[in-house]
Amino acid sequence: MSPKPPPGHFNILYFATAGSYTSKNVEALPAPLPLKKLFDTLEERYKGIQASVLDHSLVTINLVYVDVDYAGSGNAEEVVIEEGDEVAIIPPVSSG
Amino acid sequence: MATPPTEPQEDSSLSQEGCYVALTSSPLSIQSVTDRVRSPQAGAIVLFAGTTRDTFASKRVTHLSYTAYTPLALNTMLSIATDLHTTHALQGIAMVHRLGEVPVGEESILIAVSAAHRQAAWRAGEAALEACKERVEVWKREEFADGEGVWRANRDGAVGERVG
Repeated sequence: MSPKPPPGHFNILYFATAGSYTSKNVEALPAPLPLKKLFDTLEERYKGIQASVLDHSLVTINLVYVDVDYAGSGNAEEVVIEEGDEVAIIPPVSSG
Repeated sequence: MATPPTEPQEDSSLSQEGCYVALTSSPLSIQSVTDRVRSPQAGAIVLFAGTTRDTFASKRVTHLSYTAYTPLALNTMLSIATDLHTTHALQGIAMVHRLGEVPVGEESILIAVSAAHRQAAWRAGEAALEACKERVEVWKREEFADGEGVWRANRDGAVGERVG
């Protein structure tokens, strides 16, 4: 589907409003990255994306939903995005 | 301003014991989705066809397109299908969603369910559609006659976010 990320990177997929905000469907970001730092990393690159898109979106790593709020609470066993992972930003869906 | 992804998407499907789910960029066939659930043990087949509408809140929609996170959307559709297959004792369930541009008035989703008796088929058909709209990782983009485009969100029924 998307090209393999270069060594030391993971792919992040941007769907719907996330793709509109970033003007891209996919990009490679440096790995490893703790999940709790994902939104800050994206906010640095795309100012305003947190309030516009991320706060209403879900996140998957390798096709499994992960809880970003829980990861950021400091209580969770730390989830880390690893080299070669496929992360996706999932805005509210609209099938049918 | 981003343009919506329009790269051709391959047809793909998953199936397992009486359940079939698929995403396709081709026009949908009511006959073939119905035939997928046809069974001598079934006394009823219920078919739902969702079609694309030319207005939203009285604004004229000139065209619509759908994109998907294909592998995840198929997993979610199969999970919905297998759950309903069990809970409603279905003979078969098939769900197909179209991707890419869908001309106004054509089918964007077909759901067919078969069961021994009509009550189970009606209920499972409705439950399947509601679960799809709530959970399946597919997004609809509507382009309006005034040049504006929006990504729809099923969750709130609102107009979604303006993108152009």
